[in-house]
Amino acid sequence: MSAKIQQLAGIDRIIHEPSRLMIVALLAAVQEADFQYLRQTTGLTQGNLSAHLSKLEEAGYIAVEKTFRGKYPLTICRLTERGREVLDNYKRVMKAAL
Amino acid sequence: MNESSPGLMKQSPDALASRLMQKAQNQDGLPEIAIGLVFLTVAVTMWMQVAFHPGSLPYRAASLVLGLLVPALILGSLWAIKQVRRRFLIGKVGYVELKPLNRRRAGMAMGFAFAVAVVAAIAASKGSFPPASWVLAGTGIGGGLLAALSGRIPRFVVGGVVIAVTGLLLAFSRVSLDVGFMILYGSMGVLSLVSGCTVLLLFLRKPDAAGENELG
Repeated sequence: MSAKIQQLAGIDRIIHEPSRLMIVALLAAVQEADFQYLRQTTGLTQGNLSAHLSKLEEAGYIAVEKTFRGKYPLTICRLTERGREVLDNYKRVMKAAL
Repeated sequence: MNESSPGLMKQSPDALASRLMQKAQNQDGLPEIAIGLVFLTVAVTMWMQVAFHPGSLPYRAASLVLGLLVPALILGSLWAIKQVRRRFLIGKVGYVELKPLNRRRAGMAMGFAFAVAVVAAIAASKGSFPPASWVLAGTGIGGGLLAALSGRIPRFVVGGVVIAVTGLLLAFSRVSLDVGFMILYGSMGVLSLVSGCTVLLLFLRKPDAAGENELG
């Protein structure tokens, strides 16, 4: 039991932050989503969401692509394979520990 | 950051994502408008089957609409909602591409619905249906529960209670099954349509998030 709890010490800090966990969990449930959808769904402010997405992108957990749909600019985010692995591992560790 | 309240964060990541997506799905009222239109179409076809003699042209047309158009409306409404959002509301609701439907689950759901329909048809042909009042009360309570649990937001719970009460009132009023279903589906349709239109209007009046599509 204590070994399982000790695993918590090595938990991924990037994904453990509530807002980033919310973003990663949402992106794991869809194929892709844009900035506005994530902002609407999470309730985060533009600045907060932008900062969290940058951190996740730097860590290689999400891929960000800027594109257009007609005249509308889209900042599309997708969870990478690495991001999916980290989320699965996070869920496993938390489930075992709690 | 109202969504990351402690209560919400106690859920598993999957449950959290599902909850947030469900809330986003219902924020513009479009699903309720589609459901309302489907229920009103069913109610109108049922009225035609009550008002006209079996074998008459309107009766046959109503049967055809009920058998073909209503399933097409249900499937088509998902596509229509996606198109309306992407064409007219993308600045407000944003863009999302959902994962493809789980075919195994969809097949199981359709198989279950087919089995229920076959059992209901056999029971109806043998005249072994429970009394009309039981069917109406059961449909009202079942529909109300489904509405309350599937939406899990206050207006869906209120709508579910109204549907359940309508079903119970119809059961006690001793109307025939056809008329009872017509009134029940009609009231569900009107309720859903009014609620959806109100939510859509309020959603459209919210200030646009222009220029907020940037990643710093």
